[in-house]
Order: sequence, then C-alpha cells, then structure tokens
Amino acid sequence: MDRINYIINELKCIADNPKKAMDDYKKATGKGAVGIMPLYCPEEIVHAAGYLPMGIWGGHRKISKSRAYLPPFACSIMQTVMEMQLDSVYDDLAAVIFSVPCDTLKCLSQKWKGTSPVIVFTHPQNRVIEASNAFLVEEFKILKARLEEILDTKISDESITESIRIYNENRQVMREFTQVAAKYPHIINAVTRHSVIKARFFMEKSSHTALVKELLAEIRQLDPKPWTGKKVILTGIMAEPNEMLDILNEFDMAVVADDLAQESRQFRVDVPDDDDPLYRLAKWWQDFYGCALATDVKKYRGEMLINMVKEQQADGVIVCMMKFCDPEEFDYPIYYDQFQQEGIRSISIEIDQESQAFEQIKTRLQSFSELL
Amino acid sequence: MITMGIDIGSASSKVVILENGNKILAAEVVQIGTGSSGPRKALEQAFHASGLKQADIEKFVATGYGRSAYEDADKQISEISCHAKGVHFLIPDTRTIIDIGGQDAKAIGLDEQGNVKQFFMNDKCAAGTGRFLDVMARVLEVSLDELDDLDKLATEPAAVSSTCTVFAESEVISQLSKGIAKENIIAGIHASVSSKACGLIYRLGIEDTIVMTGGVAKDAGVSRAISKELGKTVVTAPNPQTTGALGAAIYAYEAACRK
Repeated sequence: MDRINYIINELKCIADNPKKAMDDYKKATGKGAVGIMPLYCPEEIVHAAGYLPMGIWGGHRKISKSRAYLPPFACSIMQTVMEMQLDSVYDDLAAVIFSVPCDTLKCLSQKWKGTSPVIVFTHPQNRVIEASNAFLVEEFKILKARLEEILDTKISDESITESIRIYNENRQVMREFTQVAAKYPHIINAVTRHSVIKARFFMEKSSHTALVKELLAEIRQLDPKPWTGKKVILTGIMAEPNEMLDILNEFDMAVVADDLAQESRQFRVDVPDDDDPLYRLAKWWQDFYGCALATDVKKYRGEMLINMVKEQQADGVIVCMMKFCDPEEFDYPIYYDQFQQEGIRSISIEIDQESQAFEQIKTRLQSFSELL
Repeated sequence: MITMGIDIGSASSKVVILENGNKILAAEVVQIGTGSSGPRKALEQAFHASGLKQADIEKFVATGYGRSAYEDADKQISEISCHAKGVHFLIPDTRTIIDIGGQDAKAIGLDEQGNVKQFFMNDKCAAGTGRFLDVMARVLEVSLDELDDLDKLATEPAAVSSTCTVFAESEVISQLSKGIAKENIIAGIHASVSSKACGLIYRLGIEDTIVMTGGVAKDAGVSRAISKELGKTVVTAPNPQTTGALGAAIYAYEAACRK
C-alpha cells in the first residue's frame, strides 16, 4: 500500500499544482508548454513538437474581473479561465490552442487577454461524411503551421505518428484504470480517481502512462473488497471541485464509471490507424461518440449511459450539469426520459466552479444516496 | 420506546418526540434555525411539553439544513427522506409532496410504500421560498399570518415576478406606489410562489394525493394558488412545519428496532 499511496500522492500533487508541473517540465526538457482549451484538441501535434500540452479547465475561484468581458451566462470554466488570464496565470504558455464547439468558446477564443499567441481551429459540426475529415485535416494543417511558426520548430509526420502511439497507449491505460478503480473503490475513491485522471493534463503522456501502469500493477496484487456503499456513474462536462467529490466519499458512493468531458471522454476512443497522421487525428473526431458537443442526430448518449449502468451494476447516475452549458442542458431531457423508461435512478446537480458553499449539493447527494 | 427527531432548518427548528413509532408526544417549533439557539430551545420546549428528558430518548435523528453541524444526534438523514417518511405516516395516499421552507422548495415523488422515487429542488434562489414571503410581507407592512386572510379579499391578482426576490420586491414597491390594493398584490405574490413550486412539480410529474408541507404551508393562500395552477386538490399536512422532524423520529424508531 505504501507504493500505491506514494503514486496516488504524486499524481494528486501534479493535479493540484499544474504550474509546478509545467516548471518541472521546462527544467527537465528546456521546452515549455502549450495551453489546450477544452474540449477536444489534437494534443499529439503539440507533443510531437516536444512541448507539454497543458489542459486549461478553469479552477475553483471567485470571479470579478471576468465580468467586464463575459456575460453572466457564460459557464464557469470560461469565467474562471478569463479571470486567470487577467491575473496573468497563463502568460508562461508558449501558445494557447482553442477548439470552438460551443458559442462561449467561440467568444472566448476571440478575446484572449493573456500574452500568449492563440491558435483557433474548428471541428466540423457535420462529422459523418468523408468531407468532414478532409475539412479537419486542413484545419490541423493550419494549426500545425501556426504552431511551428510560434514554437520555431518543425513537426514531422513521424513525430506526430509516434505521439499518437504514446497517446493511444495512455488512452488504453486510462480505460483500464477506470475499470480497476470500479473494482477497488476502497483504494481509489472519488477524489483519488479524479486526481489520477486530471494529472494527465499536466504530464508528458508517457510519464503519466508509466505511473498509472505501476499503480494498476500494485493495486491488482490486492484482493478487491466487497463494496457495501452505492455505485454511481457521473456524466457531464466535469465533476469538480474536490469538495463536491468529498461528499460522494462521505456517503459511500463509489464512482464506477464516468462520461465526463474532462475525464473518460478524453480517452474513450483511440486515434484510428492510417498512413497520414493528420488524417488519423481528424478521423478521431468522426469516430468519437457520446458527447453533447459532438453532433449525433441519433443521440446515442442515453443508450451508452444505460449500458454503462448495466455493465457496472451501478445504482444510479449523477448528472454533473455545468451551469450555463447549453449543449449539456439540451441533451438532458432526452437521456433523462430514457432513464425513466429503464427505471434508472438519476439526479442532476449543478457544477459551478465559483461555488464556495456545498450544503445544497450535499443535501441532494445525501438524499440521492438514501433513495438508491 | 421513545424516539426523537429534530429538523434544523434555515429559519426554524422543529422537534418531534414519538412513542413506539406512532404516538406524537410533542411537536415543537421555534422560529430560528441553524447556528442559533433555536435547536436548543426547540428541544427544551419538546421536553417540557412531553414531561420527558434526554435520557428517556432511545434514539435521536437530525435532519434539515443544519443536520451536519448538530453532533448530538445518533444519525443524520436528509430532509427529503424525512419529509417523505413523516408525510407518508400522516397521509399514506401521498404521492407528491411540495415542501416550501425558509430558503428552499422541494417537490418529492413517493411510491406506494412511501419511498422517495425522485425529487427536485430549487437552485440557489430565494424566489418561491419562505424568504420571498418574508421580504414581501415586510414591504407590505403586514405579518405573515395576515397573508392568507388578505388574499381571500383579492379581486384581481397583480403580476409579480417569480424569477428573483429582489426584482419582485421592486415590482411590489412600484405597485404599492401606483395604489394597487395590498390584497391584489398578495394574491400575485402567492401566484408567484406557486409558479416556482409548480415548476418543480411539472418536472416530477403530478400524481395525487398532493400534500404541502413546510412553514409556507401555513399560508393557505399559497396552497390555494398551487391548487389553482395545477387544477388539483392540494392537501396541507397537519402541523406542516413538523413533518420533517416527525419523519426523523420515525427513522429513529426504525433504527432502534433494528438494534
């Protein structure tokens, strides 16, 4: 258990202190970091340049300066990112890359107040035809060219191919991690689980893979203990801050799977094979499924969540509804209806990174655990 | 066997002492809530009314907003579960509970056994809660107890916003300035609270019997407004402010029996 606790603590420290992680990377490699805005970005291109792709997902803080630039109905990820930009938190980044699958991201991409140069690319909304892939390849060519100019480096196809291999290995290990975490909730609780996953945003991926592999090997040596609490699945954009996850721990609710944009949606699908690495990265968007921001006229998300509940024998689903996230709000009535038809219990809680008080969420989650 | 439940809300503290899980020996309410002397005073009143003392209590459950900070109870259970338990005991046909307290409103759906099937709560907003009525009563210079009788005199309910208590207060002040009768404004306030509550009920699905609980249930004008909007009978639970504490006392009894 000592080694398990050591690795968990190591990953938690990285997840809680991204600036230090970036500084350590710079010291070790002589190269800096490129900020990656939510939600889905071909980080492999940045990785291939030798730079550290750093996830930017906002943070738990009060908003004040951001109000000058964003309306109150912008989600709290964007509000807190704006706030931190204005506090110069991101100015050490060599560049910031934006994908813009929602209106708020589109707006924010046009008004970056930090000093780093910004690169914006667009995912095709219609992603089912071959032309979508061709479109996205062109977007990635522009992104790559711009990155090469800013970083004063050349990014070869071979290096992108190698980065895709590293990233696919990390995706595979993370899927294994979520399976193992489901079997060992007494070791990997809700906060730990989130920290292990979040740390991948601030580490070179092969380093993260190595640590997680070692963690899994250590855990697998132990016998799983029967779980007497409830098992839940989380769905939404993100499940933070830790004070909210602590409530799950307090009421013995184990997270046995997730469908969170910040977590499993990042590694649900591998980048597929092909000769052209940019085409492979583009095709990932076409193969990706189950997210409110990736157009799906058949709305497979509900069926996917129902299958998850059955596979994991979960007791219920906790919808982590990011406040003011329109795409997530639009999906909710559709899959909620499907849950009702299948007799699946669910609750929706509001996620707001600005929140300082958690009693309302505690009441909801405790009540939910009592009715399961 | 004597058990006790305490419901520590934002605006009031309620205690119920129960004998053998079904006979109410005391049901006391003090109109101050968590973080105050309210819980202690409610306990003292309940012991005085029943002639009992702490040592007579076999098991004690706390619920309500202030339950986590209250360390003297044997267990803490959410107010959703406790209201369901308490109301099912009083009115077994209940399938929908509308609980409107000092700072929140809940719609709770029950099955035939009185178990909670689903619930919805208002989010971070005083509109449609007891706090809303407090603010309006102050502006109108009436007491909360007068709201029901004045509502009955209304001829044409005024339009009052249900989005925000502060904006609604401005509207009410504006209407008073225009000389609109207090009774009509009060009817509009009741309709505003009703629309917030009904918004939660529509999400839940309407199923008879519908029972109203919480401090706001003492204002029959609100239950009449809800009944009018839903087109359904709304029953007010007996002693509606204490149903949560009653449910907590029943949970305490069940736990004591299992021991």
